[in-house]
Amino acid sequence: MKTIPVNLGIEFCGVKFNNPFILSAAPPTDDLDMLKRGLEMGWAGAVLKTTSVEKNKVELVYPMISGLSFENKKVVGMGNIDLISEHHIDLVEKRIEVLKKEFGDERVIAASIMGAKKEDWQHLVKRLKAAGVDIIECSFSCPQGSMGEVPGAMLAQSIPATEMVTRWVKSAAKKTPVVIKITPMVADIVAVANAVKKGGADAICASNTIPSLMGIDIENFIPNPNVAGKTTYSGLSGPAIKPITLKVISELSKTVGLPITGTGGAVNWIDALEFMLCGATTVQFCTAVMHYGYDIIEDLCEGLAFYMEEKGISRVKDLIGKSLPYIVGHDDLSRKNRVTSHIDLKKCVRCGLCYYACQDGGHQAIELGRERRPEVDEEKCFGCGLCQSACPIDDCIELKESEKPRKIATV
Amino acid sequence: MSNKTATTLLPEERKKGFREIHRCYEPHQAYLEASRCLMCEDAPCTKGCPAGVDIKAFIRKIRFHNLRGAIREIREANVLAGICGKVCPQELLCQKECSNTEIDIPINIAALQRYVADVELRRSVSPSARQFAQRIKVAIIGSGPAGLAVAANLAQKGYEVTIFEAEAKPGGLLTYGIPPHRLPSSAVQKEIRYIKRIGVKIRCKTKIMNIDELFKKDFKAIFIGVGLPGARKIGLPGENLKGVYTALEFLKDVITNKGRTKQTKIGKRVVVIGGGDVAMDAASCALRLGAQRVDLVCLEGYDEMPSSPEERRICWEEGVEINTRVMPLKIIGSKGRVTGYKGIGIRWRKPGLFIPSNAIPIPGTEFSLKVDTVIEAIGQIPDTGNVKGFKGIETAGPGYIVAKKKTFKTSRPGVFAAGDIVNRGATAVQAVADGNAAAEAIDAYLKRKR
Ligand SMILES: Cc1cc2nc3c(=O)[nH]c(=O)nc-3n(C[C@H](O)[C@H](O)[C@H](O)COP(=O)(O)OP(=O)(O)OC[C@H]3O[C@@H](n4cnc5c(N)ncnc54)[C@H](O)[C@@H]3O)c2cc1C
Ligand SMILES: Cc1cc2nc3c(=O)[nH]c(=O)nc-3n(C[C@H](O)[C@H](O)[C@H](O)COP(=O)(O)O)c2cc1C
Ligand code: SF4
Ligand code: SF4
Repeated sequence: MKTIPVNLGIEFCGVKFNNPFILSAAPPTDDLDMLKRGLEMGWAGAVLKTTSVEKNKVELVYPMISGLSFENKKVVGMGNIDLISEHHIDLVEKRIEVLKKEFGDERVIAASIMGAKKEDWQHLVKRLKAAGVDIIECSFSCPQGSMGEVPGAMLAQSIPATEMVTRWVKSAAKKTPVVIKITPMVADIVAVANAVKKGGADAICASNTIPSLMGIDIENFIPNPNVAGKTTYSGLSGPAIKPITLKVISELSKTVGLPITGTGGAVNWIDALEFMLCGATTVQFCTAVMHYGYDIIEDLCEGLAFYMEEKGISRVKDLIGKSLPYIVGHDDLSRKNRVTSHIDLKKCVRCGLCYYACQDGGHQAIELGRERRPEVDEEKCFGCGLCQSACPIDDCIELKESEKPRKIATV
Repeated sequence: MSNKTATTLLPEERKKGFREIHRCYEPHQAYLEASRCLMCEDAPCTKGCPAGVDIKAFIRKIRFHNLRGAIREIREANVLAGICGKVCPQELLCQKECSNTEIDIPINIAALQRYVADVELRRSVSPSARQFAQRIKVAIIGSGPAGLAVAANLAQKGYEVTIFEAEAKPGGLLTYGIPPHRLPSSAVQKEIRYIKRIGVKIRCKTKIMNIDELFKKDFKAIFIGVGLPGARKIGLPGENLKGVYTALEFLKDVITNKGRTKQTKIGKRVVVIGGGDVAMDAASCALRLGAQRVDLVCLEGYDEMPSSPEERRICWEEGVEINTRVMPLKIIGSKGRVTGYKGIGIRWRKPGLFIPSNAIPIPGTEFSLKVDTVIEAIGQIPDTGNVKGFKGIETAGPGYIVAKKKTFKTSRPGVFAAGDIVNRGATAVQAVADGNAAAEAIDAYLKRKR
């Protein structure tokens, strides 16, 4: 097989990354030894967990994490009621100095901050700059205990506040790139991102966890996580939120035009690649690392490199936004596309799941024939694709173009 | 409807011929199995693998859609990834301590390994680049798994490696011992082709009788991986009758004649003496060649037999009669041909020691079977011809080569040995593991000499 040399390096806000994979602001970046371990393993950079000024009290509660399982799968999603770091800027600035000294330009050291007022934000920025930070990320989207103008609300849920705080930060940061981490929990995310842009930020981090209620213990009626008999809403992360993140990234890439670092639901290199195809330049990981360890960086790099070799794409840059032209408004989709379902009986195991789906959720186009063999009536089939999603076998059901007109119900 | 995606053929189908018993996973099956793996922190599976394959890492790579990374990971530790995936007694090795056993059933590690190797060989990905050519010649005697592993490792390091093999085809017992329903020869040859692509030369039909000549031909180091090509005999009365064979000659006959036999003849009723994997293979081959009843007789009890539990189960499923804790007394014949077998029940003198000298016959338990064919499968021994030609090399017992642990150095400088000829008969993966270590030692030796 022919292969081409591949370079995983990428530039983001003028900063060079060895590969597009970064540790996001979260527990895996909240301890110096852990950070060193992760960066040594090959993560291109880390965003140190969100810090604040010394006088800001951070009182955590435990337990703070609850996993979302689906059937036998653990951590399909993960909820947390963590807050920003307990460690304040005095410690974080020291960590940055140590890491910069140890890793130099080989790794990107970013730090996340959050403040209550202008002086705090600008003070944090100045101290990070003095410590030699490469990028400053601002958490405008912590779902818990935010310090925005309205208690409990996220900063990025207010468009004017978003623009104003961004401006405060950028004016203090000057040449140091500023990234604003926004939330998908808004009515008009494009407007928020435009406010970020107007405020002068260099990039957007899209998007954080989704406020959620993680489930209830039906014996005692107390939802998870149970903190001495009470709970609060969690931030949902992990695979479950990936589709939301993809939507946000692609929408912002198409409209706002600021570089994006993606976060929310990436586990493997394919997820990360999808983020990039939607327009993200780099991809951040948290839940996947918390679940499987820093080791996964090896598979992220190797997997993406092998893919690029086989595709004949030598630069990561050439992947960014490659899927955007294929995403349009609903009105712009073809009304003439006529496809019908075709079942490969050699692969079919006669489970009848397609039959169920089509009978009770589709158009009654599938019948079970001899020996429970599913048969599609092409005229009745609308080509909705439900059977394909339900079928347990890969590539067993295919949607193919059809000439046959479809029968419309008369009663 | 036939079971299209299950990976093991049903016994009735298996017995019809030499089709491979276990089929390779489909992608979704591999993914499903990989996603059952817990990816344990201190993975006990890796500790159970003689070659030290990082099992958790390769399974994680399958799960994280990095198949090429997975095969790289396995091949770095075991160049015969696909072959070992098919023949490793995993229940006794990596799978033994799998943490998943406490949840439901252990991960089918071997099947996953087989799957990644298969995907790779189908796509014919080229081996990773050789290091700078060293122009130093190394000779390998024997192309079994030990020789192949040494050769692949040294070729990767840039040495000029030539394997000398007495037989017509390379592979050792992989090619001439393990029958096709467990290991098709195409699978062996594919992986050998892969090793040739790294730059290893293989000269078949070249039996080395004298290692001094190799040194004279400018080979700077020699590796001996000649295995145990001889068959041990019990020394029973009637052993020389027509219709009495050793398992090795029988299996070689079946394999070289693609599921038929020329030198050996399997009758309707067969008795196989022995309780190891070789006995299981002989019994399952006899069934496939049309024997109506195959009795396996062995000294050990069912749980004491040295064969892998999986192989034992496979034979049992196919209908081999397994007679445990019996000792052969004699082979009965008439007009020079085998007509029967006579044995007796035994108990152990000392518990836990399963060797003939520890067996006490139980009076009154004598029994006889009417048989047409007797196959002896009680162990392999060195080829005495070989040993004589290897001057200056210390041996033990019937000609096992004595080599240092870890470095596999023999008593003669520049000569190394590993595999069955040193460990007295183990597994393919053990031969690979020892071959890997020997290759490191040879590299160190040659570097020091320069
Ligand atoms: C029937 C059978 C079933 C088995 N099943 C399994 C199994 O399921 N799983 C498993 O892991 N192991 C199994 N084994 C054991 C496994 O095959 C051996 O442990 C392994 O092949 C040993 O490798 P080796 O390289 O030491 O020797 P071999 O594989 O024996 O190779 C030695 C080679 O050296 C050649 N040779 C010998 N003398 C010379 C000479 N003077 N010059 C040139 N060439 C020479 C021989 O022709 C042979 O090709 C089985 C063995 C048998 C017999
Ligand atoms: C326990 C926990 C703590 C987090 N703390 C922070 C934080 O302090 N600042 C921040 O910007 N994001 C924080 N996050 C959000 C993550 O950085 C990340 O954006 C989010 O989990 C989505 O990505 P993922 O699906 O890869 O986990 C936290 C997430 C978790 C699970
Ligand atoms: S869902 Fe798939 S496998 Fe099941 S009957 Fe339909 S086509 Fe066959
Ligand atoms: S012991 Fe079993 S579950 Fe654990 S890593 Fe190994 S194969 Fe996976």
